[in-house]
Amino acid sequence: MSTHRTARRRVLRLAAVLTTSALSISLLAACGSSGGGSASSSASSHGPVTITFWAWAKGTQQVVDAFNASHKDVHVDFEQIPSGVAGGYAKISDAVKAGNAPDLFNVEYAALPDFVSQGAVQDITSLVPAGLKAKYLPQSVEQTTLGGSTWALPLDAAPQALFYRKDLFAKAGITTPPTTWADYQADAVKLKAAEPNTRIGTFFPDDPSTLEAFAWQNGAHWFSSSGDTWKIAVDSPATKKVADYWDGLVSKDLVRVQTSFSQQWTASLQKGETAAYLGAAWGGGVLQGTVAGAPGNAGNWAVAPVPTWDGQPASGMLGGSTFAVSKDSQKAQAAVEFATWATTTPQGIQARIASGTSSMFPADPELLPAAKAAFNTSFYGGQDIYAVFTAASKTIVQGWQWGPGLSVTNSTLKDAFAKLGQGGTIDGALGSAQSATVSDLGTLGLKVAQ
Amino acid sequence: MSLRTADTARTAGTARTAGTARAVAPRRRGRYGAPAVLLAPFLTLFTAATLVPIGYAVYLSLFTEHRSGLGFGPVQTVFTGLGNYTRALGDPVFRGGFTTIAEYCLLYIPVMVGLSLTVALLLDSALARAKRFFQLALFLPHAVPGIIAALIWAYLYTPGISPVVGALGSAGVHVDLLGHPLPAVVNMAVWEWTGYNMVIFFAGLQALPREVLEAALVDGAGPLRTALSIKLPLIKASITMVCLFTLIGSLQLFTEPMILQGASSQVTTNWTPNMFAYSAAFGRNDYGLAAASSVMLALAAAALSFIVTRVTRTRSERRTEAAR
Amino acid sequence: MSAVATKETDTAQETGAVRSATAGRSRPWSLSKTAVNGALVLVTVYTLLPLGWLLTAAAKNTPDLLGGNGLTPSNVHLVQNLHDLATQDGGIYFRWYLNSLLYAGLGALLCALVCVCAGYAFEVYRFRGKEKLFGLVLLGVLVPTTALALPMYLLASEIGVVDTFWAVFIPSLVFPFGVYLSRVFCAGYIPGEVLEAARMDGAKELRIFWSIGLRMVMPGFVTVFLFQFTAIWNNFFLPLVMLSNTKLFPVSLGLYVWNSQTHGNPEFYPLVVTGSLLAVVPLVVAFVALQRHWKAGLTAGSVK
Repeated sequence: MSTHRTARRRVLRLAAVLTTSALSISLLAACGSSGGGSASSSASSHGPVTITFWAWAKGTQQVVDAFNASHKDVHVDFEQIPSGVAGGYAKISDAVKAGNAPDLFNVEYAALPDFVSQGAVQDITSLVPAGLKAKYLPQSVEQTTLGGSTWALPLDAAPQALFYRKDLFAKAGITTPPTTWADYQADAVKLKAAEPNTRIGTFFPDDPSTLEAFAWQNGAHWFSSSGDTWKIAVDSPATKKVADYWDGLVSKDLVRVQTSFSQQWTASLQKGETAAYLGAAWGGGVLQGTVAGAPGNAGNWAVAPVPTWDGQPASGMLGGSTFAVSKDSQKAQAAVEFATWATTTPQGIQARIASGTSSMFPADPELLPAAKAAFNTSFYGGQDIYAVFTAASKTIVQGWQWGPGLSVTNSTLKDAFAKLGQGGTIDGALGSAQSATVSDLGTLGLKVAQ
Repeated sequence: MSLRTADTARTAGTARTAGTARAVAPRRRGRYGAPAVLLAPFLTLFTAATLVPIGYAVYLSLFTEHRSGLGFGPVQTVFTGLGNYTRALGDPVFRGGFTTIAEYCLLYIPVMVGLSLTVALLLDSALARAKRFFQLALFLPHAVPGIIAALIWAYLYTPGISPVVGALGSAGVHVDLLGHPLPAVVNMAVWEWTGYNMVIFFAGLQALPREVLEAALVDGAGPLRTALSIKLPLIKASITMVCLFTLIGSLQLFTEPMILQGASSQVTTNWTPNMFAYSAAFGRNDYGLAAASSVMLALAAAALSFIVTRVTRTRSERRTEAAR
Repeated sequence: MSAVATKETDTAQETGAVRSATAGRSRPWSLSKTAVNGALVLVTVYTLLPLGWLLTAAAKNTPDLLGGNGLTPSNVHLVQNLHDLATQDGGIYFRWYLNSLLYAGLGALLCALVCVCAGYAFEVYRFRGKEKLFGLVLLGVLVPTTALALPMYLLASEIGVVDTFWAVFIPSLVFPFGVYLSRVFCAGYIPGEVLEAARMDGAKELRIFWSIGLRMVMPGFVTVFLFQFTAIWNNFFLPLVMLSNTKLFPVSLGLYVWNSQTHGNPEFYPLVVTGSLLAVVPLVVAFVALQRHWKAGLTAGSVK
């Protein structure tokens, strides 16, 4: 066990020095195989450390299986839970409170500050060497560093992307996917004209994260801090512009208003009544899993960069997950070891993508070739979707920060979105969310700049 | 709740069930041993799983958590007095939950009680055939767990999936229950509970004294008049009890909207007080707020039930006196 | 029990006779046989249609389920769905099923015993503060069980029993309404003379309860059991807050979690639907088989 650890540390230290991607990949690969072998002798005397791990990201089971097969010192006990907003976070909070939380769990960037402020996760700064941090995209590191400490290891970055049905677009006379939001609206009109029951996309009233990604793309900063004071700007002009645009699409009946991942939404995609989906890199696998079973879908989907306001590529991040160690875990080191393996080794990403269910964009850019090689592109007609994601990842607007109290921001937004079509607007929702967030931070005892 | 209600209940129950003289022969005093042993399990469990949790919730509701800096440091628990209560009551979302419940009750109780009474009266009429079959068929939904009932109905509400919405649509009737969660949830509850309460009413009707109905017959009352002006008043006690239990049940509304949430965004996370308490606890980890809202919900339920029993009891007493 | 049933049928027949005479005479605005039975059929369609849908839906695969396609002999996937149900997560569904049977079966059995003991004590003995104590029990009837679930969770997590079998099992033993029902049943079924006679013979109080009281009030016991069995089988909120270990889940919570998994994993839809069908079956069978008991229970509970 200790042999393996030392080997690993040596490799990581090396990686910090040698930034050449090819070299560090091969070293880590070597660690994965020979390290595992050398550990087996010592493991027999100590027995492996078993850690428990909860997650919902696609392909996680395969990652865990691959890890367990190649490691004798740490054994991961994996349990699949519902996605965070669908009840997964409630389950984790519940378990943390009860004192039987898993050692390790996946949490999205946006939810991390809430988990940290509730004291549900462990500060892992001392377990994360600088060399490891240097491997991840700076935006991902930014999102996992709160108050100067490291709280999680990033799994994936989530550059935005537009998934669309080539055949339906062509039928409506659209030859290239929209590059600006004006194009997107024009194409929405064309699609509806060609087939009255077809819409270009969906506004998800139950999931504000898409709107947040659009606000991010447009340069908004909902949360920012200076010193120990928070500044909340949910209803800033940059977000209002986005909200007004979507209010327009909704009121002109150019997009559907449907619950995300609901039966209704799934059915409308399967039947081709919804011709596109504004998601993120991970959405490629999710979309495939959602519609692949239905006729007419496989091979007809394609990916394009998310439209922008001025035609210059820009992206926010929509989702994206991290590995966080729970507060009371006594096995933080083993948990970080597994998380490191899952997020920075080609084997880790390969196991996930080869499961055929994930199109995740690794937060460690060195893993891109492995991810790309493992992804079966037949659903996307052979398109190199990772090229699109890679380009988009380079345009992720820097400086966005999430903050505690986001769960209140989101629940206020959802409550207000529920009134869409009954006098409520997206724009109006921003005002309520702004004041609810400010007052919630006050309740937590935090300082908020007025 | 009143002891007198219980006593009348027992007397009535005896008269109707066994028909034998009730066995309340004065029992020897001083035999504390046996009743203590027999009561101990229940009282222990009742204390452990009802009284203590309520007390603990009251205690927890007096505290809140404070953070410092940007909120990523240690958490401090501070006494806040009634702070959580004023915070919940001051939150339009929490009050909105009670509004939802009030609207739900106003729609649900009349519809469900009305329907189950109607069906019970129809079954009780001499014209009905296959009474056993109908009773069973109408009762069956009660055997379906609420969560499964909600899952089924969520499918049946969704356009494009539901054969019902489809059939109605082709008949020119467009229903959008996903856009109207209140009637959607009311329908689920009506489906689950109509048969159950119908059986209660039907049993009450079947037990009505023959002479009264004969008298009505002699007076020349038709079946509809007999039903409305003779049978209904006679099973008033059952109706009151059904309304009371339905009311308590309504305050607990949780499962059905939780499921419908996955299909209809109009069911918000804080749609009912129970959902508010749940999301306060598990969404925001605000246990003080969750405890305060649970306590208030329990208080509201007890108060409401007290009022209902009070009002109906004084009325029925007045009636009994008048009859004498 | 039998007394109740016989009495009911008698009255039913007699009043029925009286009423058919009435119906025969006054026609003008009265309801025709067709109208009455037609209305009943209509309501029956309403109650049975969702169950019928469940029956057909359990045989569909995801695209047919979400596409709203009808079931034709060529697209029956029932066997496939059952196979998936049995193998998903290592066949955990059947574990949930057993858990439910354990929570509901054992829980309702113990609960009924506890309730009958208490109801018997309240009915048969006189002691100081009895009616005050009974008033407290009745107050317990009025507190919504879900309003209690969260406080129970908070308490359980304080003493560290959250996410254990007991966290769900013990609260389900408490059923104040069952105590009330038991008292009513004891009043109806246990003649005081019998108890007195037993005492004359020198029998001990607890022995009298065990060999005479409990036997005589058995119908009440069955009724309380049925009530609580249904309540525990249907309970969702308490396990939802108490349990995070999937191995302890009852079937209701398991289906809920799978239903949440459909979020991005549509292959879970048929699992949830087929699993729902299987979860409904035992209760439907129980209710069809035990008709007399639940009817008697509802009657006793209602006569107030």
